[in-house]
Amino acid sequence: MGCCYSSENETTEQDPDERKPLIPHPNPVSKPPNGTDWITTSVPSARTDEQALLTSILTKTAQNIIDVSAADSVMMEQHEYMDKARQYSTKLAVLSNSLPQKKALALPSLTSQPHQVLASDLVPYSDVQQVSKIAAYAYSAISQIKVDAKEELVVQFAIP
Amino acid sequence: MTTATLTAGLERIPDQLGYLVISEDGVLASAGELENDELTAGVMMQMVRTACRFRLPGAAEPPFKRMSVILEDFVYTVTVSGQKVFVVKRQNNQQEPISV
Repeated sequence: MGCCYSSENETTEQDPDERKPLIPHPNPVSKPPNGTDWITTSVPSARTDEQALLTSILTKTAQNIIDVSAADSVMMEQHEYMDKARQYSTKLAVLSNSLPQKKALALPSLTSQPHQVLASDLVPYSDVQQVSKIAAYAYSAISQIKVDAKEELVVQFAIP
Repeated sequence: MTTATLTAGLERIPDQLGYLVISEDGVLASAGELENDELTAGVMMQMVRTACRFRLPGAAEPPFKRMSVILEDFVYTVTVSGQKVFVVKRQNNQQEPISV
């Protein structure tokens, strides 16, 4: 979920501060926003099914949102940002020096018998037609994918 | 391999209308309708480079031996061997036109 929360296992770290996320990971399960507790206990039968379903939806939603307001934002001073930036660029400079210079990608060998490969029968018309059809379907499907923005990205989460 | 051995086999390909042998540095050999066709050589080189970047998951090598550029009357068949790109222009005898 974004680089803010990159939670790669800390290896032998020379500087523990190096990988500290800027925004601490919110923990909606143990500490829901606004301090209220989620209704996780099962509700007595009667209208339980619906209630339980709603509860599970609520819990799932809570786990999936990033509650910006509840995040204990650690304020960083200007000079701390500068320090971090400098630290990262030094690190990058060191790493990029050790990378091999990438030259124009060498051509892979597709075959050791180019003449046979080139002389073999052409692709049958029916195969070409099928591939064209599949490509056209895929193109049409992809062109219909769109983002349907319905809600604000950051929402007020009203908990009863 | 000398240029002559490279091209000897290409001459014998059925329905061939011309060919190109291209290296990183440029065209090594050309004949027929593709004689001195630097433009086609450049385009084919770019196309095969692009095609070679495709990989199936877990496979280290490109999943094909030959690239075919199919047009109504003729076909360019392209392959790579020993750091050289071979392009052969062949007659397309298949009747029906390809409509996309």
